[in-house]
Amino acid sequence: MSSITLSTVFRRRSDVRYRRIEGEAVVLRQSAAEVLVLNEVGASVLDLADGEHSVREWIEALSGEYETDAETLARDVLAFAGELAEAGMLEEVADRGPESEA
Amino acid sequence: MSFGDGFLRFPDLFPGRRGGEPWGERSLVLDVAGGPYRVAGLAAAQEEAVRRKFDGLCRAAGTAAAVAIQVFRAPAADFLERDVRGWEYMLDMEHSRSSVLLAGMRLMARLDWAPGLTGGLWTCEAAGEEWASIFENYFRVLAAYRLLGAGGAVLHSAGVSDGTSAWLLLGPSGAGKSTSSRLCLERGASVLSDDLNAVLPAAGAPRLVRLPFAGDLAGPPGGPPSYPLKAVLRLVKGTEDRLRPISPAAALAGLVAAAPFVNHDPWRHEALLGTLERLARSVPAYELVFSLGGGLWDILRAIPA
Repeated sequence: MSSITLSTVFRRRSDVRYRRIEGEAVVLRQSAAEVLVLNEVGASVLDLADGEHSVREWIEALSGEYETDAETLARDVLAFAGELAEAGMLEEVADRGPESEA
Repeated sequence: MSFGDGFLRFPDLFPGRRGGEPWGERSLVLDVAGGPYRVAGLAAAQEEAVRRKFDGLCRAAGTAAAVAIQVFRAPAADFLERDVRGWEYMLDMEHSRSSVLLAGMRLMARLDWAPGLTGGLWTCEAAGEEWASIFENYFRVLAAYRLLGAGGAVLHSAGVSDGTSAWLLLGPSGAGKSTSSRLCLERGASVLSDDLNAVLPAAGAPRLVRLPFAGDLAGPPGGPPSYPLKAVLRLVKGTEDRLRPISPAAALAGLVAAAPFVNHDPWRHEALLGTLERLARSVPAYELVFSLGGGLWDILRAIPA
């Protein structure tokens, strides 16, 4: 996988099912019957990974929900996206570099 | 490897529907959670072996049943011989919206929904313990699907009771289900099973239901078949005894991981998540670190309702 940037667009893999409960998310990857528990930011990242919006747009959407500075939020979201992609929960569908975002 | 390759000589000839030559005309009804289940097409020796294995749970053949299982002959040549030294028992499964196919040691089987659940089992085993084990291995899967359809679940777990309520102890292999069951047993608890238990919805608290797949420590069948479930506990071995509440999400994750067979079926994942989410929300859940010191049972009984 190429490195993740603010321009990367992810979607949830088709075999991922999840439930949000009291801020957390329980994620089940069907093909492997793996179960993960994600915290609130991780759960939000799953919600937002629709194959349409870039990581930058996720951060913009989340900035109103979390009382943290933009730099920390961006770092956390990028880290979560990387972990979820590594775990096979997300797949990259595009990278909207500066030209396509312009 | 394709479905059935590890067990069947001709996987492409897997029965496409529930039909074939029955072993005989005997039948019986098993009064097990999610049932009753009628098992038909049995030879006399097969019926006798099932009755022996499920002693106390067999009802007259005329008893009304919710699920019908038909048993058929299959030639021994249809099955591959395997070296079972060091082999951990497993089934090969293929899932679809309306059926589940199973292949295993000297068995082919189907679950079909049309729309109610029916079962078909093909084997070359005519009698005895080998046959009874084949039937039980299939019946475990069928019961797990049947209970999911009834809003419940079969769970790899230990179930312990004080005769009034029950506690469900979860954890992966090696987490201490049998050890904790033994500790409770030594302090006067009864063990429903230290292997597989069922949970079914009920007014008030969900109920922990005894299954005849009892593991090593369960007492003989008898007594109330189910108890109100007081708590779900995720087991961790330690050097002290400690109880810590866990979130409903953490409880749900533990429950999903403990739901055999159905947690590998992508067509039933939404139903499984929904069912177990309701359970996780309705019963207190804890992480229980326990030692061999023996305080486990007292901790369980002190959990508030």
